[in-house]
Amino acid sequence: MTSDGRYKGWALFLPWILTFGIFWLFPLIYSFFLSLTDYRLLDPTVDWIGFANYARLFSDPDFITSLENSFIFVIGTIPFTTVIALGLALLLNEKLKGRTFFRAAYFMPSITSMVVIALIFSNLYARGGYLHFLADMIGLHPPVSGFLLSEKTALASIMAMDIWMASGYYMLIFLGGLQTIPDELYESATLAGASRWQKFRFVTLPMLKPVLLFIIVINSIKSFQVFVEVFVMTKGGPLNATFTGVYFVYETGLKNFDFGYASAAAYVLFAIIGIVSILQFKFLKTEWKA
Amino acid sequence: MQRSWRYILLSAIFVVMVFPLFWMFWLSITDTASRLSFDNFAYIFSTNKFGLYLFNSLLVGIIVTLGNILFCFMCGYVLARRKIPGSRFWFYTVLIVLMVPVHIVIIPVYILMQKTGLYDSYWALILPWLVNPIGIFLVKQYITTLPESLEEAARIDGAGEMRILFKIVMPLCKPALAILAIQVFMTNWNSFLFPFILTSSEQYRTLPVALAMLLGYQSIDWHQLMAGSVVAVVPILVLFIVFQRHIVSGITAGAIKQ
Repeated sequence: MTSDGRYKGWALFLPWILTFGIFWLFPLIYSFFLSLTDYRLLDPTVDWIGFANYARLFSDPDFITSLENSFIFVIGTIPFTTVIALGLALLLNEKLKGRTFFRAAYFMPSITSMVVIALIFSNLYARGGYLHFLADMIGLHPPVSGFLLSEKTALASIMAMDIWMASGYYMLIFLGGLQTIPDELYESATLAGASRWQKFRFVTLPMLKPVLLFIIVINSIKSFQVFVEVFVMTKGGPLNATFTGVYFVYETGLKNFDFGYASAAAYVLFAIIGIVSILQFKFLKTEWKA
Repeated sequence: MQRSWRYILLSAIFVVMVFPLFWMFWLSITDTASRLSFDNFAYIFSTNKFGLYLFNSLLVGIIVTLGNILFCFMCGYVLARRKIPGSRFWFYTVLIVLMVPVHIVIIPVYILMQKTGLYDSYWALILPWLVNPIGIFLVKQYITTLPESLEEAARIDGAGEMRILFKIVMPLCKPALAILAIQVFMTNWNSFLFPFILTSSEQYRTLPVALAMLLGYQSIDWHQLMAGSVVAVVPILVLFIVFQRHIVSGITAGAIKQ
């Protein structure tokens, strides 16, 4: 490569270097520094306070609640989303008329704006809203004030909406994975006299492991960051019932402008997401080898 | 499973998946007494400034999409053909950013925009998103599968690097760039968090931000809110129906290759 060519190479790559440096690397470092200070918007003096913000976080009941809610959200949605998505993919993996149509329809919620989905469900969940009406009719005794205004049902309602929304997206990824499984494997399984269930258990499932791992890790990272739904539908309420980790970061940092404290919270959440992803990788990988 | 049972099941799921969107359309074209009426649309475009929000969403969406086509192509090409030392390292930076949760950068980016005076402007909506890691990844993977012989032949014929890049490689990348463009536009169109925290005045408000802020206001009812939602959803639905195959293959390709 000529030195001229190399020079042009850097010029062509400049957009990523700038974006990476300015909007990712710098913020990541800066936000860690912030987390060690008491920087607030309206306070001109900025002092180093070491890890005091982190210590404060773990005695802050609001933060603990927000972490609990985030974990409930992740643990309560991912198994359902994954199983439903896999079920939909299996239903649509065989050649049948209208396959493309159904696939498109199931996927449609995933391409719709989260704000719009949250608005529609706010209406459906409200007192007298369609879902509220339906639940009442079949005798489920929904909360009188509507699903989102009751402590008991608010978080679960948002979770149900998220499962509904995300299933079609992960279905598509499963379908992609299913198509990479060679037909010969099923043919030889048929010759060996395997039942449908055995084919699924001993051919499909093992072959889908990498896709399954990918889906679980990606969905966990996404679900730990739940924010838009909460912002639109409940603002963290009622009584902190839907107050999640990222909502805590938003409220402390960009509503109360307590930048240092919010950055510390963001880093704790970041560390939790990192640890959970690594654990998932390790655990699921060894599980599969056995 | 018997064929007819499969269709009954598929149709039942279809109703569950499509009903909320149907409900949105239904509310948007009826009034509070459930009579057909298009007044909701007239209201949001006259009393609320949905024309402005629509314009903002389109403007930002188009600029960001064009930026990504050009910049992701350039950067993906550099990584695929190893045009700079440390290509592998730079490729890792792309993969890492793909995994970094965005909540960690919202406060520093907010402060950065405030300090540079870009807060509450079109720049704040556009600059951070002109190139994105998924796009670079897609282009890089695609160019790696293309034979290098065409580029070498052109080089022997004395074509300059820029000419090779834009006249030979770029046209070959059209399928990948099409997928990229649609994905970038849809993501940008639907994005809420950053437009919401990086702007404050109505002048720079995009559709999702406007809709999220309108819920709970006394002066607007569900029918009008759903009319606004329809305005935000229809362009994406049209894109989806027209480019369905591109969108589906883009998602599966990106996921499976990782």
